[in-house]
Amino acid sequence: MSDFPSSKYARGKIFAKTGLKVGTNYATHYLKSLANGTNDKSALHKKSAEQVFGEFTKLRGTALKIAQSFSIDQGFLPEEFSEVMTQAQYKVPPINRSLVRSIIKRELGQYPEQLFMDFDTRAIAAASIGQVHKATLHDGTKVAVKIQYPGVRDTITSDIALARSLFKRLVSDGPQIDEYIDEVKNTLIHETNYIREGESIDRFHERFSSHEVVTPQWIPDLSTERVLTMTFIEGVHLDEFLNSSPDRESKNHYGQILWNFFHKQIYDHEEIHADTHPGNFLFTPDGKLGVIDFGCVKSFPEEFFMDYLRLLPTHLHRDEPAIKELYYRLGVLKADPDTDEKENQYYQFCMNFGYTFAMPYLEKSFDFGDPEYKKLIRGYTKNAPITNEPRGNKHFIYSTRVHLGLYHFLMKLGAKVDTEGSQKVVEDVLSDALNDE
Amino acid sequence: MKKETKLKIKIAEAATGRYIENRRFTIQSLAKELEITPKQIFDLFPNRSSILRYYYDSRILIYREQISSIKEYSTFTLSEKLNNIFLSLLDQFSEHREFVLLTYRDMVGSPVRSSAFEKLFKEALREIFQSDEQIATSAKILQNRFLYHAIYLQFHGLILFWKNDESHLYENSMALVDKWCALQEEIFYSKIVDKGFDLGKFLYYNSPINFTTSCALTAKRSEA
Ligand SMILES: Nc1ncnc2c1ncn2[C@@H]1O[C@H](COP(=O)(O)OP(=O)(O)O)[C@@H](O)[C@H]1O
Ligand SMILES: [Mg+2]
Repeated sequence: MSDFPSSKYARGKIFAKTGLKVGTNYATHYLKSLANGTNDKSALHKKSAEQVFGEFTKLRGTALKIAQSFSIDQGFLPEEFSEVMTQAQYKVPPINRSLVRSIIKRELGQYPEQLFMDFDTRAIAAASIGQVHKATLHDGTKVAVKIQYPGVRDTITSDIALARSLFKRLVSDGPQIDEYIDEVKNTLIHETNYIREGESIDRFHERFSSHEVVTPQWIPDLSTERVLTMTFIEGVHLDEFLNSSPDRESKNHYGQILWNFFHKQIYDHEEIHADTHPGNFLFTPDGKLGVIDFGCVKSFPEEFFMDYLRLLPTHLHRDEPAIKELYYRLGVLKADPDTDEKENQYYQFCMNFGYTFAMPYLEKSFDFGDPEYKKLIRGYTKNAPITNEPRGNKHFIYSTRVHLGLYHFLMKLGAKVDTEGSQKVVEDVLSDALNDE
Repeated sequence: MKKETKLKIKIAEAATGRYIENRRFTIQSLAKELEITPKQIFDLFPNRSSILRYYYDSRILIYREQISSIKEYSTFTLSEKLNNIFLSLLDQFSEHREFVLLTYRDMVGSPVRSSAFEKLFKEALREIFQSDEQIATSAKILQNRFLYHAIYLQFHGLILFWKNDESHLYENSMALVDKWCALQEEIFYSKIVDKGFDLGKFLYYNSPINFTTSCALTAKRSEA
């Protein structure tokens, strides 16, 4: 296919073609059948896909978070989904200046003008469940104050209940869907507890303070479950950085830091910053990478974590028996792909996507800015086989978010990174695990 | 704020605590708590009930003091200013919640008797509306005694809501204030009024409590 010029990606390309074919067919067929009401699920007959999507408008901020959880904003699902779920209308409206003062007063005991030397009542950024203000402490320290919109916690609970019923109309009912929704729900509820986030900020600061990465410091005296104060990190987001026409070297520099940060987390295998979204990284003027937003950090169970890592070498070697075994364990396959056509479609798609995904680990360095690679990844993510039968271990939701988010960030940045060290990290962690067994 | 006013506020706030313990607390016990003489109190207040009423009146004074300390207050929108007065009062009431819940209806929320608090509250509202430059010209005709009274009644409704609010630090009450003020601003900044929107009807259907509604209508009739 002329879409994929022949080159070093030749291998990925062949697989991609099969993958794309399967993917496209599934996705378009599925969405069409939803719209026409010809889907075999009887409840769907009455509602067109649009109507169902339309109901997501009732979810506002929560819809955005759900979309982000399932990496919909990263192009992991067809555009029909992402368009509906990431529209601005789902964002929570800004908190007015009087309410900001009053929330601070209730949560921290005094009005901002008494607590801070300077407090900007105009938010510098809208967060999904609140907003962020810049302020200065009496000792001159610049801080970021994240304020939660009143009543958000209750809203999430009721929104998730609504989302659950909507999802159940879209996909076949089963324990799997409940497991996914519960995973997202628990994560979102945790995210509303800013004390929890403050504690995560502390732990990450401890782990990464001597690194090329900068993370905020928590200020517990000015924090509660709904107000979070931390040191301010100067810097610009990805888009603004790119607008300043940075040179290649500088792009590679920041890209490498992010890549290393990610693999250092794998190496530690403690907790992982699980919200790899451009809004959560800052390019600081002194050449460091600012990492913020510790509302969503994850510790994956050891078993899942190791199996997830094993996907990398097994795909690179196209070790099919090992891949199949992993897929069974991770809930991707339910039956033998050799005898079941539907399973085979899943299998082919996942294996090819997995291979493409593992490519950066193949050589000494990898150029995420290569447009061919972008095209490949985009082809897979956009055409993922959306069936009405969701699959895979629930931990895939956030591991995918982290990993895919990393790739998207690096592709957008256009960075070439040294990947040799990270291959060793993966190998070491896996062989340690073997030795422990 | 004058020194005498500060002392009066201190006496009134201490009195709310006394009142919760014993509705017939003596001026002597109050003076003792504040380490002043009963005469000092009697110089400022004629009787116990006037002290308690002053608690309410002084909330508006404190509110005014607060606005003067907000640097960008003059740039606040109508909704932000309305939010500010409601929330400032609610914040203050939250600090003396038990007292407010015991006395609000009798001292300021009475549908038949008007209070000094009511007068001060409406004055503050008038200032908010009259100083706002963005209000659509057509909406200016709505700025009359009826409007301020209707908003005052809405405030009673808010207090009732807050009374039953079991959410964390009454955050649902805050959310209600926010939504209600945004709606008000929508009405006054846009040309809804031009389209013949009838505020009386609007309030009738949106009042959080029925007694508010009937009062609003009575007020409308008496104004007419
Ligand atoms: N410590 C900080 N220093 C500088 N900017 C910050 C800081 N914390 C948050 N921000 C700004 O606020 C935005 C939203 O904050 P974030 O914690 O990511 O909220 P959310 O959890 O809703 O995503 C960030 O994208 C960033 O622009
Ligand atoms: Mg964020």
